[in-house]
Amino acid sequence: MGRAVTDDARGRLRQRIDSDPDSVARDLFKLVLSIIELVRQLMEAQALRRVDQGDLSDDQVEALGLGLQRLEEAMEELKSRYGLTTADLNLDLGPLGTLLSDNP
Amino acid sequence: MSDLDLRATSSTGLPATGAAQVSLVDILDRLLGTGVVLAGDVTISLAGVDLVDIRLNALITSVRADMRRQGWGAP
Amino acid sequence: MSGTGRYLFAVARDLRVAELTGTQGFHGTPIDVVERDGLSAVVCDVDLGEFGEEPLTRNLEDLTWVERVARTHNDVVWRVAAAATCAPLRLVTVCADDDSVRAKVDSLRTELENVLDRIEGRQEWSVKVLVPQGAAVEAEPAATPTSGTDYLRRKREAAERRRDLSDEAVRAAREVHDVGHAHAVASRQLAPQDPRLTGRTETMILNAAYLVEAGEHEVFTTALRAAAEQHPSVTVEVEGPWPAYSFAVLG
Repeated sequence: MGRAVTDDARGRLRQRIDSDPDSVARDLFKLVLSIIELVRQLMEAQALRRVDQGDLSDDQVEALGLGLQRLEEAMEELKSRYGLTTADLNLDLGPLGTLLSDNP
Repeated sequence: MSDLDLRATSSTGLPATGAAQVSLVDILDRLLGTGVVLAGDVTISLAGVDLVDIRLNALITSVRADMRRQGWGAP
Repeated sequence: MSGTGRYLFAVARDLRVAELTGTQGFHGTPIDVVERDGLSAVVCDVDLGEFGEEPLTRNLEDLTWVERVARTHNDVVWRVAAAATCAPLRLVTVCADDDSVRAKVDSLRTELENVLDRIEGRQEWSVKVLVPQGAAVEAEPAATPTSGTDYLRRKREAAERRRDLSDEAVRAAREVHDVGHAHAVASRQLAPQDPRLTGRTETMILNAAYLVEAGEHEVFTTALRAAAEQHPSVTVEVEGPWPAYSFAVLG
Protein backbone atom coordinates (compact mmCIF):
# COMPACT_ATOMS: atom_id res chain seq x y z
CA MET A 1 0.00 0.00 0.00
CA GLY A 2 2.82 2.36 0.81
CA ARG A 3 4.38 1.69 -2.58
CA ALA A 4 1.15 2.45 -4.47
CA VAL A 5 0.90 5.80 -2.73
CA THR A 6 4.50 6.60 -3.63
CA ASP A 7 4.04 5.64 -7.29
CA ASP A 8 1.04 7.91 -7.47
CA ALA A 9 2.91 10.76 -5.82
CA ARG A 10 5.82 10.30 -8.20
CA GLY A 11 3.48 10.39 -11.18
CA ARG A 12 1.93 13.59 -9.94
CA LEU A 13 5.34 15.10 -9.31
CA ARG A 14 6.50 14.27 -12.85
CA GLN A 15 3.37 15.87 -14.24
CA ARG A 16 3.99 18.99 -12.21
CA ILE A 17 7.54 19.36 -13.46
CA ASP A 18 6.44 18.90 -17.07
CA SER A 19 3.62 21.41 -16.93
CA ASP A 20 5.03 24.07 -14.62
CA PRO A 21 7.51 26.26 -16.50
CA ASP A 22 8.10 28.52 -13.51
CA SER A 23 9.27 25.58 -11.49
CA VAL A 24 11.60 24.43 -14.27
CA ALA A 25 13.09 27.92 -14.55
CA ARG A 26 13.51 28.13 -10.80
CA ASP A 27 15.23 24.75 -10.61
CA LEU A 28 17.61 25.65 -13.42
CA PHE A 29 18.30 28.98 -11.80
CA LYS A 30 19.07 27.23 -8.53
CA LEU A 31 21.51 24.92 -10.30
CA VAL A 32 23.32 27.75 -12.04
CA LEU A 33 23.47 29.87 -8.89
CA SER A 34 24.80 26.92 -6.92
CA ILE A 35 27.71 26.57 -9.27
CA ILE A 36 28.38 30.32 -9.26
CA GLU A 37 28.27 30.32 -5.46
CA LEU A 38 30.77 27.47 -5.35
CA VAL A 39 33.12 29.33 -7.64
CA ARG A 40 32.67 32.50 -5.60
CA GLN A 41 33.58 30.71 -2.37
CA LEU A 42 36.61 29.11 -4.00
CA MET A 43 37.75 32.48 -5.37
CA GLU A 44 37.31 34.07 -1.97
CA ALA A 45 39.43 31.37 -0.31
CA GLN A 46 42.06 31.63 -3.02
CA ALA A 47 42.17 35.43 -2.70
CA LEU A 48 42.76 35.18 1.04
CA ARG A 49 45.60 32.74 0.44
CA ARG A 50 47.21 35.10 -2.12
CA VAL A 51 46.93 38.05 0.27
CA ASP A 52 48.46 35.98 3.07
CA GLN A 53 51.35 35.01 0.80
CA GLY A 54 52.24 38.71 0.86
CA ASP A 55 53.28 39.12 -2.77
CA LEU A 56 50.48 41.51 -3.74
CA SER A 57 50.75 45.29 -3.69
CA ASP A 58 48.28 47.32 -1.63
CA ASP A 59 46.52 48.41 -4.82
CA GLN A 60 46.22 44.81 -5.97
CA VAL A 61 44.77 43.75 -2.62
CA GLU A 62 42.28 46.61 -2.78
CA ALA A 63 41.23 45.73 -6.33
CA LEU A 64 40.86 42.05 -5.40
CA GLY A 65 38.72 42.91 -2.38
CA LEU A 66 36.49 45.26 -4.33
CA GLY A 67 35.99 42.70 -7.07
CA LEU A 68 34.98 40.01 -4.60
CA GLN A 69 32.72 42.41 -2.76
CA ARG A 70 30.91 43.28 -6.00
CA LEU A 71 30.58 39.58 -6.81
CA GLU A 72 29.06 38.85 -3.41
CA GLU A 73 26.63 41.75 -3.79
CA ALA A 74 25.61 40.50 -7.23
CA MET A 75 25.01 37.01 -5.80
CA GLU A 76 22.82 38.42 -3.03
CA GLU A 77 20.76 40.26 -5.62
CA LEU A 78 20.35 37.15 -7.77
CA LYS A 79 19.40 35.00 -4.77
CA SER A 80 16.82 37.45 -3.56
CA ARG A 81 15.13 37.51 -6.98
CA TYR A 82 14.02 33.92 -6.42
CA GLY A 83 13.89 34.06 -2.66
CA LEU A 84 16.84 31.69 -2.29
CA THR A 85 19.22 31.44 0.64
CA THR A 86 22.75 30.05 0.55
CA ALA A 87 21.39 26.92 2.23
CA ASP A 88 19.02 26.45 -0.72
CA LEU A 89 21.99 26.38 -3.07
CA ASN A 90 23.68 23.52 -1.27
CA LEU A 91 23.26 20.73 -3.82
CA ASP A 92 23.30 17.16 -2.67
CA LEU A 93 25.87 15.21 -4.64
CA GLY A 94 25.02 11.86 -3.05
CA PRO A 95 28.15 9.99 -1.97
CA LEU A 96 30.22 13.11 -2.57
CA GLY A 97 28.34 14.95 0.13
CA THR A 98 27.06 18.44 -0.43
CA LEU A 99 28.40 20.96 -2.90
CA LEU A 100 29.23 23.82 -0.57
CA SER A 101 31.16 23.48 2.65
CA ASP A 102 29.41 23.98 5.97
CA ASN A 103 30.73 27.53 5.97
CA PRO A 104 28.29 30.25 4.97
CA MET B 1 24.06 18.79 28.85
CA SER B 2 20.91 16.93 27.90
CA ASP B 3 20.86 13.82 30.01
CA LEU B 4 18.24 11.18 29.48
CA ASP B 5 19.10 9.13 32.53
CA LEU B 6 16.43 6.46 32.79
CA ARG B 7 16.07 5.18 36.32
CA ALA B 8 16.85 1.52 36.86
CA THR B 9 13.65 -0.28 37.68
CA SER B 10 14.26 -3.83 36.55
CA SER B 11 16.50 -6.73 37.42
CA THR B 12 19.01 -5.82 34.74
CA GLY B 13 18.82 -2.10 35.43
CA LEU B 14 16.96 -1.41 32.22
CA PRO B 15 13.49 0.10 32.50
CA ALA B 16 11.13 -2.08 30.48
CA THR B 17 9.28 0.99 29.20
CA GLY B 18 12.37 2.86 28.01
CA ALA B 19 12.01 1.76 24.39
CA ALA B 20 9.73 4.63 23.40
CA GLN B 21 12.34 7.21 24.40
CA VAL B 22 14.79 6.07 21.76
CA SER B 23 14.62 8.03 18.52
CA LEU B 24 13.85 6.14 15.31
CA VAL B 25 17.17 7.10 13.76
CA ASP B 26 19.03 5.69 16.78
CA ILE B 27 17.00 2.47 16.53
CA LEU B 28 17.71 2.09 12.83
CA ASP B 29 21.41 2.89 13.32
CA ARG B 30 21.57 -0.05 15.66
CA LEU B 31 19.13 -2.59 14.30
CA LEU B 32 20.47 -2.19 10.78
CA GLY B 33 24.11 -1.52 11.55
CA THR B 34 24.90 -3.61 14.61
CA GLY B 35 23.46 -6.50 16.57
CA VAL B 36 23.75 -10.21 15.97
CA VAL B 37 23.69 -11.21 12.31
CA LEU B 38 22.13 -14.62 12.02
CA ALA B 39 21.48 -15.99 8.57
CA GLY B 40 17.80 -16.73 8.64
CA ASP B 41 16.16 -19.08 6.16
CA VAL B 42 14.27 -16.41 4.36
CA THR B 43 16.27 -13.34 5.18
CA ILE B 44 17.82 -11.35 2.43
CA SER B 45 21.10 -9.68 3.08
CA LEU B 46 20.55 -6.22 4.45
CA ALA B 47 24.11 -5.18 3.68
CA GLY B 48 23.00 -3.24 0.63
CA VAL B 49 20.14 -1.41 2.28
CA ASP B 50 21.00 2.25 2.50
CA LEU B 51 18.23 4.26 4.04
CA VAL B 52 19.54 7.56 2.82
CA ASP B 53 19.07 6.41 -0.76
CA ILE B 54 15.68 4.85 -0.38
CA ARG B 55 12.72 7.20 -0.37
CA LEU B 56 14.53 9.84 1.62
CA ASN B 57 11.56 12.12 1.75
CA ALA B 58 9.31 9.43 3.14
CA LEU B 59 11.80 8.70 5.88
CA ILE B 60 12.26 12.33 6.80
CA THR B 61 8.50 12.66 7.04
CA SER B 62 8.19 9.68 9.33
CA VAL B 63 11.20 10.66 11.45
CA ARG B 64 9.93 14.20 11.83
CA ALA B 65 6.45 13.01 12.78
CA ASP B 66 8.12 10.74 15.28
CA MET B 67 10.04 13.68 16.70
CA ARG B 68 6.93 15.82 17.01
CA ARG B 69 5.27 13.02 18.92
CA GLN B 70 8.22 13.02 21.27
CA GLY B 71 7.93 16.72 21.82
CA TRP B 72 10.91 18.06 19.85
CA GLY B 73 10.38 21.71 19.10
CA ALA B 74 10.50 23.09 15.57
CA PRO B 75 14.09 23.54 14.34
CA MET C 1 4.85 -17.01 -0.76
CA SER C 2 2.69 -18.42 1.99
CA GLY C 3 2.97 -19.95 5.41
CA THR C 4 4.52 -18.72 8.60
CA GLY C 5 8.05 -18.24 9.77
CA ARG C 6 9.68 -17.42 13.08
CA TYR C 7 11.03 -13.88 13.40
CA LEU C 8 13.99 -13.65 15.78
CA PHE C 9 14.28 -10.61 18.01
CA ALA C 10 17.10 -11.50 20.39
CA VAL C 11 18.99 -14.25 22.11
CA ALA C 12 19.10 -14.17 25.89
CA ARG C 13 20.66 -16.12 28.71
CA ASP C 14 18.86 -17.24 31.86
CA LEU C 15 15.70 -15.64 30.64
CA ARG C 16 12.85 -15.51 33.11
CA VAL C 17 10.07 -16.20 30.65
CA ALA C 18 7.41 -15.02 33.10
CA GLU C 19 8.71 -11.49 32.72
CA LEU C 20 7.75 -11.53 29.05
CA THR C 21 4.09 -12.31 29.63
CA GLY C 22 1.95 -10.03 27.57
CA THR C 23 4.78 -8.96 25.27
CA GLN C 24 3.59 -8.79 21.69
CA GLY C 25 5.37 -9.11 18.39
CA PHE C 26 3.91 -7.96 15.09
CA HIS C 27 0.18 -7.48 14.61
CA GLY C 28 -0.47 -8.46 18.23
CA THR C 29 1.07 -11.92 17.81
CA PRO C 30 2.39 -13.15 21.16
CA ILE C 31 6.11 -13.57 21.76
CA ASP C 32 7.50 -17.09 22.17
CA VAL C 33 10.74 -18.35 23.60
CA VAL C 34 12.68 -21.18 21.98
CA GLU C 35 15.06 -22.64 24.53
CA ARG C 36 18.31 -24.38 23.78
CA ASP C 37 20.66 -25.38 26.62
CA GLY C 38 20.50 -22.18 28.59
CA LEU C 39 20.11 -19.87 25.65
CA SER C 40 16.69 -18.47 24.79
CA ALA C 41 15.77 -17.24 21.35
CA VAL C 42 12.91 -14.75 21.52
CA VAL C 43 10.66 -15.19 18.51
CA CYS C 44 7.22 -14.62 17.13
CA ASP C 45 5.23 -15.99 14.21
CA VAL C 46 5.22 -13.93 11.06
CA ASP C 47 3.39 -14.30 7.80
CA LEU C 48 5.78 -15.10 4.99
CA GLY C 49 3.51 -13.11 2.72
CA GLU C 50 4.87 -10.11 4.57
CA PHE C 51 8.30 -11.28 5.76
CA GLY C 52 9.27 -13.70 3.01
CA GLU C 53 12.21 -12.87 0.78
CA GLU C 54 10.25 -11.33 -2.08
CA PRO C 55 7.66 -9.36 -0.04
CA LEU C 56 10.52 -8.23 2.17
CA THR C 57 12.34 -6.60 -0.73
CA ARG C 58 9.25 -4.54 -1.37
CA ASN C 59 8.44 -3.81 2.25
CA LEU C 60 11.95 -2.61 3.02
CA GLU C 61 11.36 0.21 0.55
CA ASP C 62 8.27 1.29 2.43
CA LEU C 63 9.58 3.36 5.29
CA THR C 64 6.32 3.31 7.16
CA TRP C 65 6.67 -0.46 7.24
CA VAL C 66 10.33 -0.26 8.25
CA GLU C 67 9.50 2.16 11.04
CA ARG C 68 6.73 -0.06 12.42
CA VAL C 69 8.91 -3.18 12.31
CA ALA C 70 11.93 -1.41 13.82
CA ARG C 71 9.90 0.02 16.68
CA THR C 72 8.23 -3.30 17.46
CA HIS C 73 11.58 -5.06 17.29
CA ASN C 74 13.07 -2.43 19.59
CA ASP C 75 10.18 -2.69 22.07
CA VAL C 76 10.65 -6.47 22.32
CA VAL C 77 14.43 -6.12 22.71
CA TRP C 78 13.88 -3.72 25.62
CA ARG C 79 11.43 -6.06 27.35
CA VAL C 80 13.88 -8.93 27.03
CA ALA C 81 16.87 -6.82 28.10
CA ALA C 82 14.99 -5.73 31.22
CA ALA C 83 14.62 -9.39 32.18
CA ALA C 84 17.98 -10.93 31.25
CA THR C 85 21.31 -10.50 29.49
CA CYS C 86 20.20 -10.01 25.91
CA ALA C 87 21.91 -9.91 22.55
CA PRO C 88 19.63 -8.12 20.07
CA LEU C 89 19.50 -9.48 16.55
CA ARG C 90 19.74 -7.28 13.53
CA LEU C 91 16.49 -6.23 11.88
CA VAL C 92 14.62 -8.99 10.04
CA THR C 93 15.94 -12.45 10.73
CA VAL C 94 13.32 -15.06 9.84
CA CYS C 95 13.69 -18.79 10.31
CA ALA C 96 11.43 -21.47 8.86
CA ASP C 97 10.45 -23.01 12.22
CA ASP C 98 11.62 -23.70 15.77
CA ASP C 99 13.88 -26.58 14.72
CA SER C 100 15.65 -24.17 12.43
CA VAL C 101 15.93 -21.63 15.25
CA ARG C 102 17.48 -24.26 17.50
CA ALA C 103 19.87 -25.34 14.76
CA LYS C 104 21.03 -21.75 14.23
CA VAL C 105 21.56 -21.23 17.96
CA ASP C 106 23.57 -24.49 18.06
CA SER C 107 25.78 -23.48 15.17
CA LEU C 108 26.57 -20.09 16.71
CA ARG C 109 26.63 -21.11 20.34
CA THR C 110 30.25 -20.17 21.04
CA GLU C 111 29.97 -16.74 19.47
CA LEU C 112 26.64 -16.09 21.16
CA GLU C 113 28.06 -17.04 24.54
CA ASN C 114 31.02 -14.72 23.92
CA VAL C 115 28.72 -11.82 23.11
CA LEU C 116 26.58 -12.50 26.17
CA ASP C 117 29.69 -12.71 28.35
CA ARG C 118 30.81 -9.37 26.96
CA ILE C 119 27.55 -7.58 27.69
CA GLU C 120 26.41 -9.29 30.90
CA GLY C 121 25.88 -6.77 33.69
CA ARG C 122 26.61 -3.91 31.33
CA GLN C 123 24.54 -1.37 29.45
CA GLU C 124 24.94 0.77 26.38
CA TRP C 125 25.08 4.54 26.60
CA SER C 126 24.79 6.80 23.61
CA VAL C 127 26.86 9.98 23.52
CA LYS C 128 26.48 12.56 20.79
CA VAL C 129 28.40 15.79 20.34
CA LEU C 130 26.79 18.45 18.19
CA VAL C 131 27.79 21.88 17.02
CA PRO C 132 24.88 24.31 16.88
CA GLN C 133 24.50 25.84 13.42
CA GLY C 134 24.88 29.56 13.36
CA ALA C 135 27.56 29.34 16.00
CA ALA C 136 29.85 30.35 13.16
CA VAL C 137 27.68 33.34 12.30
CA GLU C 138 29.52 36.64 12.67
CA ALA C 139 29.58 37.85 16.25
CA GLU C 140 29.92 41.47 15.24
CA PRO C 141 27.22 43.41 13.35
CA ALA C 142 27.59 43.26 9.57
CA ALA C 143 28.72 46.84 8.95
CA THR C 144 29.51 47.80 5.36
CA PRO C 145 33.18 47.28 4.55
CA THR C 146 34.96 50.61 4.04
CA SER C 147 37.18 49.39 1.21
CA GLY C 148 38.18 46.35 -0.78
CA THR C 149 41.04 45.75 1.65
CA ASP C 150 38.68 46.03 4.61
CA TYR C 151 36.32 43.53 2.92
CA LEU C 152 39.14 40.99 2.65
CA ARG C 153 40.23 41.60 6.22
CA ARG C 154 36.73 40.87 7.51
CA LYS C 155 36.56 37.74 5.37
CA ARG C 156 39.82 36.50 6.77
CA GLU C 157 38.72 37.16 10.33
CA ALA C 158 35.45 35.33 9.72
CA ALA C 159 37.33 32.37 8.25
CA GLU C 160 39.65 32.32 11.26
CA ARG C 161 36.73 32.42 13.66
CA ARG C 162 35.15 29.49 11.84
CA ARG C 163 38.42 27.60 11.93
CA ASP C 164 38.85 28.24 15.65
CA LEU C 165 35.32 27.09 16.39
CA SER C 166 35.84 24.06 14.21
CA ASP C 167 39.14 23.19 15.94
CA GLU C 168 37.52 23.64 19.32
CA ALA C 169 34.59 21.43 18.31
CA VAL C 170 36.96 18.68 17.20
CA ARG C 171 38.90 19.00 20.46
CA ALA C 172 35.66 18.79 22.41
CA ALA C 173 34.56 15.67 20.56
CA ARG C 174 37.92 14.03 21.13
CA GLU C 175 37.94 14.80 24.85
CA VAL C 176 34.34 13.73 25.36
CA HIS C 177 35.12 10.45 23.63
CA ASP C 178 38.28 9.94 25.70
CA VAL C 179 36.33 10.49 28.91
CA GLY C 180 33.54 8.16 27.82
CA HIS C 181 36.00 5.50 26.76
CA ALA C 182 37.95 5.76 30.03
CA HIS C 183 34.83 4.97 32.03
CA ALA C 184 33.57 2.19 29.80
CA VAL C 185 34.42 -1.43 29.14
CA ALA C 186 34.23 -0.86 25.41
CA SER C 187 33.29 1.87 22.98
CA ARG C 188 32.15 2.05 19.42
CA GLN C 189 31.89 4.99 17.09
CA LEU C 190 28.86 5.09 14.85
CA ALA C 191 28.55 7.32 11.81
CA PRO C 192 27.30 10.82 12.65
CA GLN C 193 23.62 10.92 11.85
CA ASP C 194 22.58 12.56 8.61
CA PRO C 195 20.71 15.79 9.34
CA ARG C 196 18.34 14.86 6.53
CA LEU C 197 17.25 11.89 8.64
CA THR C 198 17.22 13.52 12.06
CA GLY C 199 15.75 16.81 10.91
CA ARG C 200 18.18 18.59 13.21
CA THR C 201 20.11 21.60 12.01
CA GLU C 202 23.14 21.03 14.24
CA THR C 203 26.17 19.27 12.83
CA MET C 204 26.80 15.99 14.62
CA ILE C 205 30.51 15.44 15.08
CA LEU C 206 30.44 12.46 17.42
CA ASN C 207 27.97 9.58 17.61
CA ALA C 208 29.39 7.01 19.98
CA ALA C 209 28.22 4.04 22.03
CA TYR C 210 29.81 3.02 25.32
CA LEU C 211 29.47 -0.26 27.19
CA VAL C 212 29.31 0.66 30.87
CA GLU C 213 29.11 -1.55 33.96
CA ALA C 214 25.62 -1.27 35.39
CA GLY C 215 26.90 0.00 38.73
CA GLU C 216 29.18 2.61 37.16
CA HIS C 217 26.72 4.68 35.17
CA GLU C 218 26.70 7.56 37.63
CA VAL C 219 30.50 7.85 37.51
CA PHE C 220 30.23 7.73 33.71
CA THR C 221 27.57 10.44 33.39
CA THR C 222 29.23 12.66 36.00
CA ALA C 223 32.56 12.52 34.16
CA LEU C 224 30.84 13.34 30.86
CA ARG C 225 28.99 16.24 32.41
CA ALA C 226 32.32 17.65 33.62
CA ALA C 227 33.85 17.25 30.16
CA ALA C 228 30.81 18.93 28.57
CA GLU C 229 31.21 21.92 30.90
CA GLN C 230 34.77 22.41 29.62
CA HIS C 231 33.40 22.86 26.10
CA PRO C 232 30.40 25.19 26.16
CA SER C 233 30.51 25.75 22.40
CA VAL C 234 29.22 22.23 21.73
CA THR C 235 26.17 20.30 22.86
CA VAL C 236 26.77 16.95 24.52
CA GLU C 237 23.83 14.54 24.65
CA VAL C 238 23.97 11.45 26.82
CA GLU C 239 21.23 8.83 26.62
CA GLY C 240 20.86 5.53 28.38
CA PRO C 241 20.90 2.96 29.70
CA TRP C 242 19.99 1.04 26.58
CA PRO C 243 20.29 -2.63 25.63
CA ALA C 244 23.78 -3.33 24.32
CA TYR C 245 22.97 -3.38 20.59
CA SER C 246 26.25 -1.94 19.43
CA PHE C 247 28.28 -4.57 21.26
CA ALA C 248 26.26 -7.59 20.22
CA VAL C 249 28.20 -8.17 17.04
CA LEU C 250 29.29 -11.78 16.64
CA GLY C 251 32.92 -12.74 16.21
